[in-house]
Amino acid sequence: MNNQPGQGSGYPNTGNAGGTYVQPPRQDTEYICADCYAKNEIKSREPIRCRECGHRIVYKKRTKRMVQFEAR
Amino acid sequence: MSETTYKGFDTLRREQTFRYPPKTGSAVPILNEFVSPHIESFNALFDDSGLPAGDGDGRGLLSLAIQDIGERVVFDSTGDSDAQGPAAWGNRMSIWIDTVSIARPRNPDKDKKSTERRIFPSESRERLTTYRGRMTVKICWRVEGTEENSIVRDCGLIPIMVRSARCNTRHMSSAELVFHNEEAEEFGGYFIVNGNERLIRYLILPRRNHVISLIRPSFANRGPSYTQFAVQMRCVRPDQTSATNTLHYLSNGIAMLRFSWRKQEYVIPIMLVLKALVGASDREIFENVILQDYQNTFLTDRVELLLRSFKAYKLYTGDQCLEYLGDKFRVVLGLPEDWNNAALGIWLVQKMIMVHVSDARDKFRILVFMLRKLYSLVSSSCCADNPDSPQHQEVLLPGSLYGMIIKERLEEALTQVRNQIAMDVRNKNPAVDFFDVRYFNKVLTRVNFDIGAKMANFLATGNLVSPTGLDLQQAAGFTIVAEKLNWHRYISHFRCIHRGAFFAELKTTTVRKLLPEAWGFLCPVHTPDGSPCGLLNHLSRSCRIVTSPLAVAHIPSLLTSHGMTSVFAPSVNGGTNVAVQLDGRMIGWCSPDVSKQLARTLRIWKTEGQHNIPLDLEIGFVPTLPGGQYPGLYLFSSKARMMRPVKYLPNGRNDSIGPFEQVYMDIACTPEDIEQGVSTHVEHAPTNFLSILANMTPFSDFNQSPRNIYQCQMGKQTMGTPSTALKHRTDNKLYRLQTGQSPVVRPELHNVYGMDAFPNGTNAVVAVISYTGYDMEDAMILNKSAHERGFGYGTVYKSQIVDLKDLQGSSKASASPTLHFGFGYEHRTGPNGQNRFSEFLDQDGLPFIGAKLASGDPIAAYVDDTTGRTHSVKYKGDEVAFVDEVRLLGGDAADTELQKIHITLRITRSPVIGDKFSSRHGQKGVCSQKWPMIDMPFSESGMQPDVIINPHAFPSRMTIGMLVESMAGKAGAMHGLAQDATPFKFSEEDTVVDYFGEQLLAAGYNYYGNEPMYSGITGEEFAADIYIGVVYYQRLRHMVLDKFQVRTTGPVDPVTRQPVKGRKRAGGIRFGEMERDALIAHGTSFLLQDRLMNCSDYSTAWVCRSCGSMISLGFEDISLGEMASGHQRATGPHGEICRVCKAAADDEDNRARTAPPQQDTRVSLPRGNVLGTGRKGGDLDIVAVPYVFRYLCAELASMGIAVSLEVH
Repeated sequence: MNNQPGQGSGYPNTGNAGGTYVQPPRQDTEYICADCYAKNEIKSREPIRCRECGHRIVYKKRTKRMVQFEAR
Repeated sequence: MSETTYKGFDTLRREQTFRYPPKTGSAVPILNEFVSPHIESFNALFDDSGLPAGDGDGRGLLSLAIQDIGERVVFDSTGDSDAQGPAAWGNRMSIWIDTVSIARPRNPDKDKKSTERRIFPSESRERLTTYRGRMTVKICWRVEGTEENSIVRDCGLIPIMVRSARCNTRHMSSAELVFHNEEAEEFGGYFIVNGNERLIRYLILPRRNHVISLIRPSFANRGPSYTQFAVQMRCVRPDQTSATNTLHYLSNGIAMLRFSWRKQEYVIPIMLVLKALVGASDREIFENVILQDYQNTFLTDRVELLLRSFKAYKLYTGDQCLEYLGDKFRVVLGLPEDWNNAALGIWLVQKMIMVHVSDARDKFRILVFMLRKLYSLVSSSCCADNPDSPQHQEVLLPGSLYGMIIKERLEEALTQVRNQIAMDVRNKNPAVDFFDVRYFNKVLTRVNFDIGAKMANFLATGNLVSPTGLDLQQAAGFTIVAEKLNWHRYISHFRCIHRGAFFAELKTTTVRKLLPEAWGFLCPVHTPDGSPCGLLNHLSRSCRIVTSPLAVAHIPSLLTSHGMTSVFAPSVNGGTNVAVQLDGRMIGWCSPDVSKQLARTLRIWKTEGQHNIPLDLEIGFVPTLPGGQYPGLYLFSSKARMMRPVKYLPNGRNDSIGPFEQVYMDIACTPEDIEQGVSTHVEHAPTNFLSILANMTPFSDFNQSPRNIYQCQMGKQTMGTPSTALKHRTDNKLYRLQTGQSPVVRPELHNVYGMDAFPNGTNAVVAVISYTGYDMEDAMILNKSAHERGFGYGTVYKSQIVDLKDLQGSSKASASPTLHFGFGYEHRTGPNGQNRFSEFLDQDGLPFIGAKLASGDPIAAYVDDTTGRTHSVKYKGDEVAFVDEVRLLGGDAADTELQKIHITLRITRSPVIGDKFSSRHGQKGVCSQKWPMIDMPFSESGMQPDVIINPHAFPSRMTIGMLVESMAGKAGAMHGLAQDATPFKFSEEDTVVDYFGEQLLAAGYNYYGNEPMYSGITGEEFAADIYIGVVYYQRLRHMVLDKFQVRTTGPVDPVTRQPVKGRKRAGGIRFGEMERDALIAHGTSFLLQDRLMNCSDYSTAWVCRSCGSMISLGFEDISLGEMASGHQRATGPHGEICRVCKAAADDEDNRARTAPPQQDTRVSLPRGNVLGTGRKGGDLDIVAVPYVFRYLCAELASMGIAVSLEVH
């Protein structure tokens, strides 16, 4: 799951100064619509809605990271 | 045993239908049939129900309800302000509800983007919302002399029954259902409330519109001269609401009519009602009750008393009686002020008494009939009816109850509108203007019309909030959750029927008894044991509940033309004639012989469809028997009756019979049982009296009956296949058996109900042998290699919901949320955003699918806007779980950001020692060892058992069915047959052992299923042949991992310092007083000390030897002063003293010092001069006491009680 583009730059590092919190960068992660199974890129703080059909549930995709457990 | 054509497992066809569900119709049509009472009763609420209209105009219950609600009236006091009465009332406004409509569940109009406007049940389930549609009412009002106005008022979103007329999946085929993420076999019948599937359970009610006679000693306590005798009738209005009328017999010969209005009971003399109804003269009443039976002096005496005693009221005409009634009830009823007393009286009689008939003359006739039945009961010429018998019972249908509640809510809202206006008028609110539409609208906004929320609350809690009580005996427990634990449990919910919460706390067990009247309607096997035994029953497989109205209006005239004397006949002899009733309405009289003939004729007509007699008409012919039930011909065509199909012998047609008529029938169980001239009917199948679940037990006729009861219970606790749409389920907990199989031995109905789609167990090779000593007391030994091959492997799915709205830090006030899933700024600094959550959580703050979680691992991360910090939600379970699915749940209108997620966690549950298994014959056992395969016994063909059970499991339990299943399974496995295990197929001549023994012989085995076997350890042959075969085993959901409780040290109660209780809190198991008794009896005092003291709340305390106090410990600073004076003080090593004794000693000193010199001189010396009396402050000992004892002493001290200990 290292598909995060370099987003660390370009944000002021005065994070919490003066009570005004700077919004963290918007992440976009791919999800799958529960109704039409279309892939949806939903950024954080965006409404949960399928772009294709307007459905209100999306599933998280299975991780692409290697998942390995000791089989004992 | 009859030979059936196909005996395979149908594997290919099943796979085909599972992969490609039928595009038209349903995969298993019978499953839709058995929930039809749920769905059709809900459909009956609507005008477009699709049900036959019967005698009515086909209007739905809601339309009938608002018609019954009627109008509310309010006056604006604009009349003559000085005048009293009508002149001051002013304008008259009447308000009523014109129409009610409920829409299908749809997206809110705010949402513009969706391509699909409809909402489907699966979405409600997954989003944890309620499946509901919008309800609106049209409210009309008119001020006298002006035009009628109307307005449509929104009533909120009302929960909709799945697959009902208002559901979007109503007519869907299996293929469409699967497309919409449902089960292919989805049958609906339940509501979805907050993501939970809930259904309204059937409830047993007294049979409607039928007079039952009761003898109850408690009736005598109702008042002076009341007796134990009464007759009762539960009258049901067309909108399915009911009102019960009871007629009590008083010891002075008269009768009092009891009814209730808004939970308040009222009793009025029957004469008052009889006169008020039709204005009957005394003579008319006398003739109607006596019916020319003048020789019956018991009756004539009573009626004379009745008439004479009423003279005291000085009410002679019907109008006088009505006015009297209206006058007395004016305050209670709250009807319009401008109605006169007579109108109120008419209304009361119309709405409260014999509400199932509308005509006053009909009410009069049925009341007279009640009176006659009451006097007959008192004179013991007829017996009392048993209200616990299904003969006098019917079912409260879910839809009817739902409609009743809606009706009441609507009535409440309408009354509130009226009261709101009346209050404005009373407060002289200047805004009141009856001719202004805006004023009326404003009033409406002030009235709570949110019926949807109230209905959702009813379904979510099962609690009935009702001012009238709806003529029901309970106010809670109407709804249950349809748990999808496995398919058996799930389908049982829709067939279960409860006797009523009131009976659960009853001390007597008579209501729980299994009565012969219940045959074929309630399953005798399928009831839980324990507290709900006999109260919670299940409908038999073939039992139906009538849900559609029948057309019977033509029956009275038809009967009249076949010999019945009509009710209009001037003279009927009541001594020689019996009554003919249709749904609680007198339709005529006839002699007992004619009534028997009529019943027979009607039955032939209805089975053959002649004269438009509906098949579901119940023809309750009660013959004239001395001391028997009150004779007559009682016809029932109403809804909510239980009916079942049997074959009518005279014409060989299918007949539908009810519990009332069944009592007087002779129904043969099998064609062989038919007795010529006696039997009238024969069962279609001898297994029809069993419920679906009881029918699934193979060879249940070979078992002792309690074992079949146990199997019905355990079948519902099995880890099986709850659903095939597992991906779309959001249940709190789901159990799944990974290696489910189709049973080799199964009854025919297994296929009929499509049970193979939801396997519930595994076929296991079972040897009955006492082998290792680990199979004592119902333990079983599992073959370790079978276990490793996946025998009984299961999974538990648990849900965890993270709703940021409910977490600390979320702002309730502002519209935009302050918490967001994801990471805050501080977690973005590392390369690639690595942070302490990276192992579990993705960049969006949600867990990776497939992540392995242990207790305390983060399951989601969120940022708080106000503090800028990142928090995490933790996984709280004890077991290792894997993230199976993460659902991101949007808002209703799809316009809100992520606030709620649903995570499905998967917990693997391989069988371990201590897990529970059972066969299908009530033979449960716990796995005691996983025995290595090499050490298992083996047969001559090299077979080794998967499971070993102890032979002692059989003699006392007599589950021969299991032995037969073992043989049948073995033969079936060898020959590739799906063995038919339907009960009642074999006989004494054609034995089951012979049938399967021959098959075993053909397969090369012993005829009786036993084989020589060899010890796996020594390789020697056993002295006895071992019974080994194939039995279907279920893995039960009770697993040690959920139950084990061990503790060495752990949390203690802060008050008592004893170990806490409860498995969840890592508590201990109570070593109670009975356990204590055992240890005392054994004289094991050290163990006793260890358990109750050292391992519990051991503590030490200082106790004063002189005063015995444990609570007066004080400290003297020994480093100062006292030592300097050179004498010893009785203190502990750190200067511990008893404050009480010290105070007493000091006091004594002082008194001695300051006391005035008395006759004998006392010398007062400073204490330091006295040697040896170092007793000031007492001396203390350390004792070991339980901490609770110290606590008890402290508590007693707070109440002024000193506890003194003697230290020896």
